Amino acid sequence: MGHRPSSGPPRRRALATIASGAAVAASGCVGRIRTMSGWESRSQVTLTIKAAPADEDPYALRVGRRIAEWLRTAGIDAQVSPVSEQELFRQVLLNREFDLFVAQTPARFEQPDSLYSLLHSRFVETPGWQNPFGYSDLDANDHLETQRRTTGREREDALERLQYVIARTQPFTVVAFPDDIRAARADRFDGWRSADLRSPTGYLSLERTTGRGGEGSPRTTATESDSEVDDSSASTLRLAVTDRRGTSNLNPLAVEFRRSGVLTGLLYDSLGYVADDGTTEPWLAASWSFDGDEPPVARVELRSGATWHDGEPLTADDVAFTYDLLADTSIGPVDGDGSDGGAGGDEDSDGDGGSDADADDGEGIPDDEEVPSPRFQGRISLVDEVRAVDDRRIEIRFVECPPDIAVRALTVPVLPEHVWSDRTTPASLAGIEIGSVTDALVTNNIPPVGSGPLRFVRNSPRESLTLERFDDHFLVDADRATLPEGVDGPPAFDRLSVRVVGSGVSAVGVVTDGDADVTGTAVGADTVPRIGRSDGTDLIVDGRTPPYVVGYNALSAPLSNPQFRHTLARLIDRTALLDDVFDGYARPAVTPLANTEWVPDELRWDGADPVTPFLGRDGEVDAEHAMEAFKTAGYSYDEGRLVRTD
Amino acid sequence: MSLLDVVLEVAVVVGVLHLASVLVFVGPDRLRPSTAARAVRSTVRAAGTPLVALAAVLAANGVVRRIGVELSWVVGVNVTGAIYAIEGTFVAAVQSYATPAATAYFGFVYVFGYVYLLTFPAIAYALREHPGELRTLLIAYGFNYGIGLVCYVLFVAYGPRNLMPELVDSLLFESWPRSQLLTSQVNENTNVFPSLHTSLAATVAILTWRGDSLSRWRPVAAALAASIVVSTMYLGIHWATDVVAGVALAAVSVVAAERIEARRDRSVGGGADSLDDGDGRDCPDDRDPRDGRMPE
Repeated sequence: MGHRPSSGPPRRRALATIASGAAVAASGCVGRIRTMSGWESRSQVTLTIKAAPADEDPYALRVGRRIAEWLRTAGIDAQVSPVSEQELFRQVLLNREFDLFVAQTPARFEQPDSLYSLLHSRFVETPGWQNPFGYSDLDANDHLETQRRTTGREREDALERLQYVIARTQPFTVVAFPDDIRAARADRFDGWRSADLRSPTGYLSLERTTGRGGEGSPRTTATESDSEVDDSSASTLRLAVTDRRGTSNLNPLAVEFRRSGVLTGLLYDSLGYVADDGTTEPWLAASWSFDGDEPPVARVELRSGATWHDGEPLTADDVAFTYDLLADTSIGPVDGDGSDGGAGGDEDSDGDGGSDADADDGEGIPDDEEVPSPRFQGRISLVDEVRAVDDRRIEIRFVECPPDIAVRALTVPVLPEHVWSDRTTPASLAGIEIGSVTDALVTNNIPPVGSGPLRFVRNSPRESLTLERFDDHFLVDADRATLPEGVDGPPAFDRLSVRVVGSGVSAVGVVTDGDADVTGTAVGADTVPRIGRSDGTDLIVDGRTPPYVVGYNALSAPLSNPQFRHTLARLIDRTALLDDVFDGYARPAVTPLANTEWVPDELRWDGADPVTPFLGRDGEVDAEHAMEAFKTAGYSYDEGRLVRTD
Repeated sequence: MSLLDVVLEVAVVVGVLHLASVLVFVGPDRLRPSTAARAVRSTVRAAGTPLVALAAVLAANGVVRRIGVELSWVVGVNVTGAIYAIEGTFVAAVQSYATPAATAYFGFVYVFGYVYLLTFPAIAYALREHPGELRTLLIAYGFNYGIGLVCYVLFVAYGPRNLMPELVDSLLFESWPRSQLLTSQVNENTNVFPSLHTSLAATVAILTWRGDSLSRWRPVAAALAASIVVSTMYLGIHWATDVVAGVALAAVSVVAAERIEARRDRSVGGGADSLDDGDGRDCPDDRDPRDGRMPE
């Protein structure tokens, strides 16, 4: 409107002055905004702790709540969010949607190399239990690589340093190694005390209490009602579990559905198994040998007559295929002769026919993108190339490492090529491909076709699962000398039935009522008196367990700061947790290798943590000390709240 | 096996309660086989549509409950933390008054009393030939379940016993572990908001209080409903927030059911389907406001 000729020069000048004044004012203001924008507002540090609810996990949420309490004392806005274990694993392991989580790791860390995939920064982008923390520390990487390459004193040194780095930088805090508590009935099966019920061999080592299917044995009311069902039920091993995932998914690659992997371990054989002393011994393999090559090469011979549950013969090609698949689940079907099926050689990945995704080749997952299995990555990373020599012989080339570490790779489940080769295509939902994921990772794999000592019979999702003895398994007529200690032959039961119940206390109730033989998942220490009170039910306590850890998301500030994590770890009173949450049924620890010979004396738990001692006493955080520690770490407080710039 | 035992136990106990209640509150004369059969047949026929609708909702409930939990984790919001922020350790405070006798009472009420409270009015209405009230009751149940199911998909929430196990005991499951075989068949532990125990119990209490018949049963219904509401918290299964939401859901369901029933009455031509023989006269003042409002 100021452009009308009638407005005249004075007015124009005035307008110009105003305009320029406004411009000056505005520029001053903008400048100020710009200057100030470097100084962002500060807000309280907010952390959410995710953990499985009490029904599914007797301890995790209680640990989380205590920790939240301690963090709040230190001025952190800490919340606890209960999520089902399946969802927890999905959020933490696949989507990395978390600040802190409390859970039991799947690995017991009896082999120190299991830390490699857990902490090496090359796995930061890999889903699953491969560095779920997003932790990257160059020193830790060096030590992890060194321990993998070396032996003797050198390896010992590397592992010692590694444990110091972990203890200082705290990618996760080891809370404690809990006792595995179970209720078991001795009236039908025995051998509970020595059996490791977190491993398939534990179930295979059980024995029948009385004569096979004998009628004259002392029976409880429960077995009477059982015999009404059918005769064979007398030799059904009945498990009451709180973990329902195994009833709807039996895919050994699906990380969010697996806890200890016992069920899939009974359905699928691996070339070797981990013995109690931590060494790897032949299982599906009749034997293997290393001939001193550098890097090592294993020549593996399969047991003769191995068969899949569907009657197909199990050959060396299946083994070679398995290693290719686990390294990259998007491979095309490897050629029949298996001679070019190297883990790295996936140039032939563009469908050699047979798969129904040929039409959209190259669309879902780029050729050069690998979709590794989120389970077994650490072990697979030891393997360079696998080749089937003939039907029963396989040659496995490893990366540079000593043979006793290399054999870890032989404990992955062997999968049938004729079933899994169709699962290398991009997964789709109602025809729409979703992200970089293959069918192999998302299939529920029911019915599973394995080669293990047990075979799938039926399942009722979320309620029950029935497996039966596989009579073509090598255990039936294997030489005892070649079997694990305690395993004398085929399973002592004809069937294994798994029944899902609501919580640990219900599981114990089902066992004490005689409706199940054992709690198939560990129960909480609070059920111990109940188990003890019941006649005919034994309390089984086993210390061979993986630890509970508090995991930190090191990719999100302020948890990305090792000093911050170090200080957080000092707010966790493991002694109080041991007394209040675990009722003494656990052993606090400083490092994940606490149960091995590799832990240096200075890093042993002796009532306090030598690296991150608790900032308080008797389960109470000393607020002043905690604030001091965070201030030293570079953070500040605003009216008792720990604040940082956004 | 033991699930069957539990179901059988519930069926027997509730059956006995029903028999006693019919004798006391409906009258033995109504129990003569020929009279009863005729009454039930005609009432159920008159309430056919809501009955089918409720059955459909329950069937959908059964199906959706299976996939609902999965769906819930995908689209739902985890409100456990928010509920805890609202009420804190209120449930733990309720539980601090726990005694073995109270636990036994509330456990009994939560399982047996609840089933009894929900089914008895339906039986009584059928025997008394009150198809209108039966219809309202069934429609209100349908709304409770339907809306409740939607909430369960939209909100993921764990109960206090799952969030703060160190403060809140699972009193029911600890004192009677087998009961969890039953409750886990009926519902998931992430489905606590709102409390359907509360809403359905409150629905029965409200309807009997506003209804014409069963006036002598009213105090029983009210006391039982109140006990069930307390039991959901006392047993550590529900939050107070769930209970409040449950009561609100009950109110909404009752209003909606009465509206639907009133509209039907108008189109049919008046609510002349009550063949009641007297109980309604006990409380004429309860009847007036409702009659005054119905033709609005």
